[in-house]
Amino acid sequence: MSVYSTVWSDEEFCNIRNDFPALSRQINGKRLVYLDNAASTLKCKPVIDKMTEFYLNHYSNIHRAVHTLASEATVEYENAREKVAKFLNASANEIIFTSGTTMGINSLVNSLIRSGILNPNDTVLLSQVEHHANLVPWVRLSKFYRYKIEYIQADDKGIITNESILSAKKYKPKVVSVTGQSNVTGQIIPVDYIREIFKDSILIIDGAQLIPHEKIDVKKLDIDFLVFSGHKMIAPTGIGIIYGKKHLLEKLEPFLYGGEMIDKVTFEDVTFNILPYRFEAGTPHIAGAIGLGYAIDYLDYIGFEKIKEQVSCLSKYLLESLLKLDFVEVYGPFDESHLSLVSFNIDGVHPHDVSHILDENFGIATRSGHHCAQPLMSILKRGSKIDFPGSTVRASVYFYNSRGDIDTLIEGLKYIKKFFG
Amino acid sequence: MVYSEFIMDYSKLRKFHGKIENAHKVEEGKNLSCGDEITLYFLFEDDRIVDVKFEGHGCAVSQASTNVMIEQIIGKTVWQAVELIKNAENMVLGKEFDESLLGPIVNFYDVKNYPMRVKCFLLPWKTLELALKNK
Repeated sequence: MSVYSTVWSDEEFCNIRNDFPALSRQINGKRLVYLDNAASTLKCKPVIDKMTEFYLNHYSNIHRAVHTLASEATVEYENAREKVAKFLNASANEIIFTSGTTMGINSLVNSLIRSGILNPNDTVLLSQVEHHANLVPWVRLSKFYRYKIEYIQADDKGIITNESILSAKKYKPKVVSVTGQSNVTGQIIPVDYIREIFKDSILIIDGAQLIPHEKIDVKKLDIDFLVFSGHKMIAPTGIGIIYGKKHLLEKLEPFLYGGEMIDKVTFEDVTFNILPYRFEAGTPHIAGAIGLGYAIDYLDYIGFEKIKEQVSCLSKYLLESLLKLDFVEVYGPFDESHLSLVSFNIDGVHPHDVSHILDENFGIATRSGHHCAQPLMSILKRGSKIDFPGSTVRASVYFYNSRGDIDTLIEGLKYIKKFFG
Repeated sequence: MVYSEFIMDYSKLRKFHGKIENAHKVEEGKNLSCGDEITLYFLFEDDRIVDVKFEGHGCAVSQASTNVMIEQIIGKTVWQAVELIKNAENMVLGKEFDESLLGPIVNFYDVKNYPMRVKCFLLPWKTLELALKNK
């Protein structure tokens, strides 16, 4: 087997890496080691080339005109929708193109309120590990619409346990909106268990972090709504998905109004287009949607099961390697529920300094900061044994990373510990 | 190179850490991208800054910047401090600045090459600016 990967031969792995030109870049004289995949993944040439070809030779607005370009663009756009539907085991009319996870959640909260599904005094249940995208819209709109918000509690390591899920049952939530994987602790949240406990609630899953390496079968998991972004799975920025069960989407008032989403418009009133178009007002990010389709083609081509295996092996190695360093404090779970990313701190060194030196001296890209999850930082502080700086360093892998990348990271961390004394 | 001996030494300085009871002015600053916080305490005599201390945590760049800033503004008038702020900010934004005014603050000259770290350097300076504006 390959020295780089347990799932691809050396040749296959080299070909994959060559598809991502940034991986051949030198950063401060060193080979780029990209470990900021949880923020956004690198982009690959096959997807960009196809998007360029579309933009240059087939581009036009969609759905509106009868000319050849409009027809080609519309077919491509709808093909992309089919690909996403297949990817999630959904129907094409349940797939709505939006700009990303943040827009997806904002749309859902507003639509649920406008449709009379989420009402004053109802309860929305979130978890304490949500990033701001699945926290701020709910919290802010609760100030205007007077529904209540409760949380599935995280423990001092930032972990969501089955006990804490069960104990939230008492809130009888109308809506449960949780992430599929924490972007800070890397924990895979037991969505199947949450569904089992909250049978009668509307279940919204924020798939931003999970979906790049874990196939989500919306039917099997009985998810009511799923939102995610394309850019964390090698697709372009500015494109994302809202999946919704057909019978629920049919009850939802759209969040955005405008062209294309209408059926009949008079000066006095409006009726809406059929699904999914009623949720896609205005000219959408056509090339972005098509790019997401191409990205799914690419992931399928190299094999989604293999991606999962590669990410899983690398995550395990990353976690084990970090746990061996006695000057590093690691957050989140250390068991099987952990995947793809690790948050940590070097005792006595601020995360920005760690991340800066990793980049400058070793060419390693990591993320430092509160990872758009400030409330979770206060929980990690509670469980921390060091002088917690209020933020962490995060290293996250994707399928194009190798064990060598992680070895370089460890070497860098040892250097930093020595440098800061 | 940001992590010079000068910056590393000043990042570890402890003598300006702490609180001034009965401070004439207290100002809090925050770096929204990383959550770093700083509180500056001031004593004034008429228009002169006679003592400054700070509480808070942050990266080596922001800590060193805070220590050097406090060292430089103690004894100066508000007007002189405002001139310093302007020049320090211009330096890291790659604009024209008066080197002769800045003294040891020029040790942070390289920060301008690291756009993501400019905010770290500016955290105490922006907090100072706010404090003097509302004095």
